Amino acid sequence: MSCDDNHEARAKDRVRRSLPIVKSESQGAPASSSASRKLWRSIEERTRAETPGAANEFPGGAADLDGVSRRGFMQLLGVSTAVATVGAACRKPNEKIIPFVRRPEELTPGNALHFATGYALEGYTSGLLVESHEGHPTKIEGNPSHPETLGATTTTEQALILGLYDDDRAKQLRRGATPIAWPTFLSEVKGRTASLAQNGGAGLRFLTGPTASPLLADLRRRILEKFPRAKFVSYSPVAADGAIEGAKLAFGRPLMPRHHLGAAAIILSLDADFLNDGPEQTRLAREFASRREPSRDMNRLYVVEPAMTVTGAMADHRMRLRCGDVSAFAAGLCAMLSGRGLSALGPVGSLGHGAGLWDSKWLVALAADLEKNRGRSLVIAGRRQPAVVHALAAALNAALGNIGSTVEYGVPITTDPTAGVEPLRTLVDEIAGGAVDTLVVTAENPAYGGPVDFKLGQLLKRVPNVIYHGLYEDETAQSCNYFVPAAHALESWGDGRATDGVVTIVQPLIAPLWGGKTEAEVLAAFVSDGEVGTHALLQKYWSSMSKLPGNLTGSFDGVWERWLADGIVPDTGAGAEQGLAINSQALAQAAAPLLASDAALAGVEIAFAPDPKTFDGRFANNAWLQELAHPISKLTWDNVAMLSQTTADRLSVETGDMVTITCRDRTLEAPAMIVPGHADEAITLPLGYGRVHTGHVGRAVGFDATALRTSLAPWFDRGAVVANTGKRYRLAITQDHWTMSPDGRDIPPPAVEAPLAEVLNSGSMFHEELEERRGPLPDVFKPVDYSGQTYKWAMAIDLNKCTGCNACVVACQSENNIPVVGKDNVWRGREMQWIRIDRYFSGPVDEPQMINQPLACVQCETAPCEYVCPVNATVHSDEGLNEMIYNRCIGTRYCSNNCPYKVRRFNFLDYTADISPAREMGMNPDVTVRARGVMEKCTYCVQRIERKRIATRIEGRTIADGELETACQQGCPTQAISFGSLNDPTAKVTKLHADPRRYDLLHELATRPRTAYLARVRNPNPDLVKVD
Amino acid sequence: MAAPNLSRDPLEPLPLLEGNHTDKTINDSLLEHVWRGAGKGWWALFACALSALSLLGIAITWTLYKGIGVWGNNIPVGWAFGIINFVWWIGIGHAGTLISAILLLFQQKWRTSINRFAEAMTLFAVICALLFPLLHTGRPWFAAYWLMPYPSVQRIWPQFKSPLTWDVFAVSTYFTISLLFWFLGLVPDLAALRDSSKSKTKRMIYGLFAMGWRGSGRHWAEYKWAYLLLAGLSTPLVLSVHTIVSFDFAVSVLPGWHTTIFPPYFVAGAVFSGFAMVLTWMLPAREFLGLKHVVTLKHLNNMAKVLLVTGMMVTYGYLMEHFVGWYSGNPYEYSEFFRARQHGPMAPIYWLMMFCNCVVPQIFWSKRARTNILVLWFASILINVGMWCERFTIVITSLHRDFIPSSWKAYSPTWVDISLFIGTIGLFSTLFLLFLKFVPAVAVTEIKELRHELDHDPTAEGAGVTH
Repeated sequence: MSCDDNHEARAKDRVRRSLPIVKSESQGAPASSSASRKLWRSIEERTRAETPGAANEFPGGAADLDGVSRRGFMQLLGVSTAVATVGAACRKPNEKIIPFVRRPEELTPGNALHFATGYALEGYTSGLLVESHEGHPTKIEGNPSHPETLGATTTTEQALILGLYDDDRAKQLRRGATPIAWPTFLSEVKGRTASLAQNGGAGLRFLTGPTASPLLADLRRRILEKFPRAKFVSYSPVAADGAIEGAKLAFGRPLMPRHHLGAAAIILSLDADFLNDGPEQTRLAREFASRREPSRDMNRLYVVEPAMTVTGAMADHRMRLRCGDVSAFAAGLCAMLSGRGLSALGPVGSLGHGAGLWDSKWLVALAADLEKNRGRSLVIAGRRQPAVVHALAAALNAALGNIGSTVEYGVPITTDPTAGVEPLRTLVDEIAGGAVDTLVVTAENPAYGGPVDFKLGQLLKRVPNVIYHGLYEDETAQSCNYFVPAAHALESWGDGRATDGVVTIVQPLIAPLWGGKTEAEVLAAFVSDGEVGTHALLQKYWSSMSKLPGNLTGSFDGVWERWLADGIVPDTGAGAEQGLAINSQALAQAAAPLLASDAALAGVEIAFAPDPKTFDGRFANNAWLQELAHPISKLTWDNVAMLSQTTADRLSVETGDMVTITCRDRTLEAPAMIVPGHADEAITLPLGYGRVHTGHVGRAVGFDATALRTSLAPWFDRGAVVANTGKRYRLAITQDHWTMSPDGRDIPPPAVEAPLAEVLNSGSMFHEELEERRGPLPDVFKPVDYSGQTYKWAMAIDLNKCTGCNACVVACQSENNIPVVGKDNVWRGREMQWIRIDRYFSGPVDEPQMINQPLACVQCETAPCEYVCPVNATVHSDEGLNEMIYNRCIGTRYCSNNCPYKVRRFNFLDYTADISPAREMGMNPDVTVRARGVMEKCTYCVQRIERKRIATRIEGRTIADGELETACQQGCPTQAISFGSLNDPTAKVTKLHADPRRYDLLHELATRPRTAYLARVRNPNPDLVKVD
Repeated sequence: MAAPNLSRDPLEPLPLLEGNHTDKTINDSLLEHVWRGAGKGWWALFACALSALSLLGIAITWTLYKGIGVWGNNIPVGWAFGIINFVWWIGIGHAGTLISAILLLFQQKWRTSINRFAEAMTLFAVICALLFPLLHTGRPWFAAYWLMPYPSVQRIWPQFKSPLTWDVFAVSTYFTISLLFWFLGLVPDLAALRDSSKSKTKRMIYGLFAMGWRGSGRHWAEYKWAYLLLAGLSTPLVLSVHTIVSFDFAVSVLPGWHTTIFPPYFVAGAVFSGFAMVLTWMLPAREFLGLKHVVTLKHLNNMAKVLLVTGMMVTYGYLMEHFVGWYSGNPYEYSEFFRARQHGPMAPIYWLMMFCNCVVPQIFWSKRARTNILVLWFASILINVGMWCERFTIVITSLHRDFIPSSWKAYSPTWVDISLFIGTIGLFSTLFLLFLKFVPAVAVTEIKELRHELDHDPTAEGAGVTH
C-alpha cells in the first residue's frame, strides 16, 4: 500500500539524511556556496523589487493551471537543501526542562509530554503548553494555569509549530557574506566593545522590539552600566503607543490600561479589535463570551470601526466610521453624556458635538446605555487610535466609574513604555547624523515594517557596524554586516511577562535546530557573557534576587523546577494604580487642538491594520497562516485593499480589480476587495504582506502596504487618490458568497440568530422554528440505538460564542497533520482544513450583520457519505463516529459529492511529498499522513479519544466529561465548542444538546448529525430596534 | 451499386435495398472497402485520430503521474469531466445494443444494414467509457481490483450498497456481452473475407478469427440460436446499464441528482445520443464507402424517427425534473432547477442542452428533414453536443451549488480535462477507422439473407423497386 511505502521511503530517507551529524558551528552549506547562493537570490529579488506591478500581478506560477509550479507546490513547506543535519530523532535541550504535569521523569516512548512555556509577541508573554513527542514539539495549547491564556491560544500561537520547523529560517551566522562561528562572533564583538567602551559607548545603539523580559531588562541595565552613553530604542511597527500616550494626557503619566470584561455589561469599542488583536485578546475573548449567555445579564457590545473585524462581527450595534472620525465620535459621546448630566466629565464634556457624521439616535441610545450601567460599562480604544481617543476613553471610563471594575491602569510593564515612531525617529536622526557606530538590531525586521520615509533599509547601510538578530534572512538582514540567526521561541530559554505582569519562564522544547541564538545571548555578548548561554544567564538573574517571588522557600533549584513545571512564577502580577484622577481641564486643553487637526483632512482615508494572519509580517512565511481564510474576507494567500460597496461604485471598482492608491506622492498598486460594512471613502490596507526577503512561502505574497506608511501617519492618513488600473488580479477566496441565500432561495438559515427578547420568550417564533430543526423525523428505518455504548460522542457549537478567530482551524491543522495546498489550489477550491468557519452577512451591504459558523464533519448517524463508498473506506463506529480508513480509500470522491455539508477534503495532489525532514519532526505521530488520492475529514480527533481510552482503561475507569478535548475545542478562546458523550447525562455536551437554542444543521435531510448548533443571540438596545 | 431512384412515388415506402443484387454483387460491394487499399482520405482521418489519441496518452500519463489535481475538480465539484465523459460514452453505446438486440427480436428488417456498424460503435464507446471509472479515482492502482468482489486476505469486500459497485458489474457485463455479440455476428463475414483473400497472410489472419466457419447447415443453425440467445441477453442490458449508471446520481441526496425519473430518462437519453452518434458516423461512411445501396434513405428515415421519439422522452424527463423541483416544495430542488441551472454561472450550458435536445429533434416531424443528409448530419452533431451538455448540467451544475452556500464553488476545466475528452474521441475514431479498414462495415451475411427474404416476398415492406 502506498501509505506504507511512503512511510518506509521516508524512514529510509530520514536515516540517510541523519547520517552526517555535524556540530552547529559547521552547519549549513560550505562558505562559498552559501555566499554565492545568497548573491543570486539578492539579484533576482532586486529585479523583482524594481517591478512591483509585475511581481504582484501573478505571483510565480499563479497562471499554472495544474498546480505544478513553485507556488502551486509551495505546500511543500520547505526546500530540502542544506538540512542534512536536522533529521536526528531526538534533540532535547542540554539543560533540564520540566514537564507540565509532575510525574516520574521518565519518557515512555510513544507517550507525549507537555511542557509549559511562553511566547512573547509585542513584548507580552502568553503562557503556552506544548505537546512533545520523543523530544519533538508537535502541538501548542494554552497553559490553563496562565491568567492570560486560560488554556486557549490565539491563531498565530497555534501556528508557531510550523514556524519552528520552517526550513527557510536563517541557519548561518555571518559577517557580510562570510560564515563565521559563534566564538568568532563573540571575540569580534569583544573587540568592538573594547573600542566602544573608550568613549562610554557613545556610538552604540540598540534597536529592540518591545519587551517585558526581566532578564533582558537586566542585561540592558548591565550594558548601560558598562556603556553609559549607549542608548536603547524599542520599535514595533504595530506598537500601541496611543494607549500609553493617552494615559499621559489623561492622568499625567504613562499608564497602561488593562480590561476586564467579566464585569462589563455595556462595552464600547472605539476601533478596538479586542477579541482578535492585542496581548489581552485570549482572556478578553473568554471574558466576553462568558457574558454572552442569553439572560438579562447578557452584555451588549457597541463597535465603532472603519472595517469589519472579528470584534465588529460580534457587535450588537456596529457603526462604520473612518479611523480619523473616531476621535470626533468620542468627543461627541463625551458631550452627549455631559449633556445628560454626567458632570464628572468636566470640561472634556464640551469638546465635541453630539451631532456629526453619525446617526445621532445611535449616539443617544449608546450614551443612555452607558449611563445606566455606570461602573459596569467599558470604553476601549484601539491601537490605531491616537492618544486623544485613548485619553477620552480614559476620561469616559473614569466618569462612568469603570476604573477598578472593568478597567484598571497600571505602570507599563514593558521596559520601554512606547515603541512607536517617535523613539525611532530619534535613532534615525542620529544615524543620519553619523553618530551611530554600532547598531544592534533585535527588533523584528524594522527595514520592512518601519515607516517608508525613514528608509531604514538604506539608512542601516550607513552604520559601520550593524548586528542583526533575526529568524530569517529578511529585508533588514540585507543591510547588516553581522547576521545572527535567532533561535525560535520554542528553542529558547527566556522569561517574559503577560499584560498583568505575571512572569513565565520560557523553556525550550528542543535544542536550536539550526544553531540559532537568543536575543539575551546577543545582548550578553556586550557584557562579555555571550558564551554562558541563556539558561545560565536566566538562572543567575533569578537566583540572585534577594527575595524570590511568592515567598518561596527551599533550594532555588526546587523553586526553579516548580516555575518551569507550572509555567508561571507566582505573585508576579503587576498591581493597578489606585486613586487615579483625570485632570479634566488639562485634558480638554490638550485634546482640543488634536481633535481639530483630525477633522481637518479631506479625501479618501487610508488606514493600516495589523493582519490577523501575518500580523506585522513576521508570520509571512507560515504556510498555515497564509492559507488560513481571513476571518472577514475569507481571502487566503494575499492581502487586499478593502473598501465599501458605495465607495467601490463611486470609483468603478470591483473585487479583484488592481487599483493604484496615491497618498502624499507615494503610490501603491493593490488588488481591491469590496468588504461589507466598510466605512465609505476609506480604504483599509492590511500590513504584513509583499515581503521581498523571506522564505519561499511568504515571498511576493500580496502587496506591501508600508509603501504608503509614513512616520507622520503610521496608522491612517487622508487625501488618498484611488484609480482603477483596469488590470485584474486573481484572489483565492474560500467562500465566494456573502449571504445565506445568495440566489434568493428560501431555506432554513444555516446559521441561526435571534434577538435576546425572542430567545427569552419561550413562546416566540424563534423557538417554534428551532423546534422544527431538531428531534426525530419520520423515518421508515429504525434509528440505531447507541444507548448501550459506553460513549456516544457528540459536539455542540455555540454560535453565540464563536468570534470566527480561526484558532480552531489552525489547531486542527496542527493536530491532524493537515497539508497546505498553495494559492492556486485554494483558488480551485481544494483547501484542506477540516474545520472551516462559514461567515454570512445579512442586511444591507454597507450596514451588515455578520455571523460565523464553524463547520467540520458533523458525524451524521445516518451518514450519506458511508453508503456510497464502493470500498467501505468510510464506516460508522459503535460510538457514532463517522470514520475514515485512509489506506482503504481509492478516492472516488463520491462520499464528498453526497456530503450535504461538504466537509470532506481530498488530496488532489501529493501535498506532503516534499516536506522537509525538519517539518516531519513536527507531525503528530498519532495521525496518519494521508497519501495522494485519498479523502480525509474530521473524526472528532479520534486519536485523542483513543489515547484517553487507553489511559483510563489502565486506571480501570471511563473517560470523565471534560478530560477529553478535541483540538478545536482546546484552542478555542471563547469555549464555543463542547465535546463529550451523550450517554453521560451530566456532560456539558448533553446539556447543550438539550438547550432551547439547539438546532441541527440540515435537519430536514434526516442525517441525524452529532454536532449540534446553538443559535446566536443578539442583544440589541431596545431603543435602536427598528419596528418593522 | 445503383443510384437512388429519384422518380419514386412519394407514398411508396422507401426501399431497404437499392438496385438489383446477387450474392456476388453484395459480397463484392460490401467487402470492397476492406480489400481496397487505404485511401488518402482514410490516412488523413487516421492521422487526425491518432494525434487526438496521443493527446489521450499524454493526459492519462500526466494524470497518473501527478494525481487528479491536474484536473479541474474540487470540493464541492468532486466529479466533473471524468464522469461526464463516462456517462456520455456509455450512453452512445446504447444504440448498438438496441439495434442489434431489440430490433432483432422485433424482427425489424431495417436493422440489418446498420447493426454491425452500430455494434462496433457500442464496443468502442464502451472502451472509451471504461477509461474513466478507473482514471477518475484518486488511486486507480487500488481501484483496479478493490472494486472487484474477490476473496481477499483482508476479508474486505466491496460495499454492495454503493452504486459504484453496481456500476462495475453493469458495465463489465455490458462490455462482455457487446463484444461477444459483435464478434459472433462477424464470424460468417470473417469467413467470407478469408475466402476472398488474395494473400496468404490475410487468409491466415481472417481464418483464425473466422474460427473454422465453413457455412455448413449445422453451423448456421447453431449460429442462429447463439445469436438469438445473445440478443435475448443483451435486451435487458439496454435498460439495465444506463439505469444503473443513473443510480450513481439518483441514489444520492444531492438536489438535481436525487430523483426517481433518472432510470428511464437516462435510458431514453442513451438511445437518443447513441442514434445521433450512429448517424454522425454513418452518413459520411455511407457516402465514402459506397454503402448507399444498403444503407438507404429508409434507414435514415427510421433513425430520424427514433431520434424524434427519444428526444421527446428526454424532453419529458426534463419537464418532470422541473415539475418535481417545484411541486415537491423542496427549496434546494427548486433552487437547483430554477436558479442554479437557469441563471447560475453554468446557465449557457443548460440552455444549449435545452436547445439541442428538445428543440433540434423537432425538425424531424418533417419527412424532408428526415431524408436530407445534411440536415440529419448537423442535427445529429447538435444532439451529441446537447447530450454532453446534459451530463455537464447534471454532474457539475448540481454539484457546484448544493445545500449550504458557504461551500459553493465555481468550476473550470484544465487542459488535461479537455485533452482527455478530445483524446477519447481520438480513441473512438482510431478504433472506428481500423474497424472500417479491416472488417466489413455492414453485415454481409445478413444483407444476403435480407435480399433472399425480399426476393421471396416482394410485397414485404421495404422490398422497394428491386427485380
